[in-house]
Amino acid sequence: MNQVRRARPLLGTLTQISVAAPLAPVDLHAAVDAAFGEIAVVHALMSWHDADSELSRLNRCAPGGIARVHAHTRAVLDAALRIARLSDGAFDPCTGATLARWGLLPRHAPSRQLPPRPPQRASWRDIELTDEGVRFHRPVSLDLGGIAKGYAVDLAVQRLLQLGIREIVVNAGGDLRVAGTGEHTAVIRHPCSAHAPAHSLRLHNEALATSSAFGSERQVHGGAVCALVDPATDRAYAGRDSVSVRAATCMTADALTKVALFGSSAVAAAVFEACRAQCIRLEPVVN
Amino acid sequence: MNPRFLVLPAALVISHDAQAMVYLSVEQAQALMFPGQTLVPVPVVLSAADLAAIEKDCGVPVYPGSLAAWKAPGGYFFTDSVIGKHDLIRYAVAIDDGRIREVEILEYREAYGGEVRNSRWLHQFVGLQHGASVKVGRGIQNISGATLSSQHVTDGIRRLLATYAIAFAGR
Repeated sequence: MNQVRRARPLLGTLTQISVAAPLAPVDLHAAVDAAFGEIAVVHALMSWHDADSELSRLNRCAPGGIARVHAHTRAVLDAALRIARLSDGAFDPCTGATLARWGLLPRHAPSRQLPPRPPQRASWRDIELTDEGVRFHRPVSLDLGGIAKGYAVDLAVQRLLQLGIREIVVNAGGDLRVAGTGEHTAVIRHPCSAHAPAHSLRLHNEALATSSAFGSERQVHGGAVCALVDPATDRAYAGRDSVSVRAATCMTADALTKVALFGSSAVAAAVFEACRAQCIRLEPVVN
Repeated sequence: MNPRFLVLPAALVISHDAQAMVYLSVEQAQALMFPGQTLVPVPVVLSAADLAAIEKDCGVPVYPGSLAAWKAPGGYFFTDSVIGKHDLIRYAVAIDDGRIREVEILEYREAYGGEVRNSRWLHQFVGLQHGASVKVGRGIQNISGATLSSQHVTDGIRRLLATYAIAFAGR
């Protein structure tokens, strides 16, 4: 068995791929190159930060028209709308304008013209998927940041499996998936620390994703905001805890962290049961 | 208790071990980015005027001595590092005809325990309770939560492109 572990700056974080297989190191590196290539494609298609990405072009589309999109974008939108529907909007990929208003995403031309707080923000219900493509029924600020990272991780794992790699860990800044015969120890950081480990668990052919306010908090007009937006209220998540989700795929785990944070307990219970996912909430111990 | 929803207390346990992860050696990165090619080290000579021009161009401070360069038939190979509040990242970049062709992280090092200990946010948590402690071995294998930002690497690459334009292209 040879092992290779590499990292590249992708998906807005350091994305790490670890593989082991009875292959020559040169073949292992080639497989990792291919997996990074898959992630780079998703990154290029769905980056909000890149004004030329397919996502940014989609957000500039006039409502009513049909935009054709790449199969990857289509797959992520399909999953995003499904989870939005199942969770009654606790997960909603349409919070981009709010994050841009808070300075947590760059402002592109269209959102610059938006009023400070639209009376009724567009939601996932304003997006329609047809056989031909995507149709917005009103101007939408689609941000796939809460789900596309997981999709990219899944895609990389699939590619590595196809290439005959036996043991795989792909970790995109905490959204990770393991595949293979072995168990892998994963560690969840303390919800208020960039470094301190707080909980460890064993993963076997499954994914883990974590969300918390830590790291993205900032003050805007005297109020605290962070990158986690409650779609129902358009307010930032105010808790100091973190939620981690174990699920079969990283895309599900990624999206379901938002369901755990913002869904009612009944909705979250139903979604987690249906998706056979588990939520681990870490609450900081404070006197 | 619903086993699908676990709520666990998280005590903050300060680790004095800085986490470090080495992904690739310089030689491994060179072999990956310029396979079969001979790389010749190129001295990085940056005058005070160069340094000022680079910082003005990219808005990122330059650490003298951080950058190393090699010339290959197919382009330039660089190693450089960026230092964030919490970490140090060393990376390799292949530049081909003035364009970034590849970026690989060589090494990631977290801040030392002492630095973490001093940060402001710790004060309200330190030493309150122990028990949920987890020993993590060296290396940041499979860690979830508190996303590591690649912003510093992005800044570093912008700095490298400025350096290349000012001190390498055409020289």
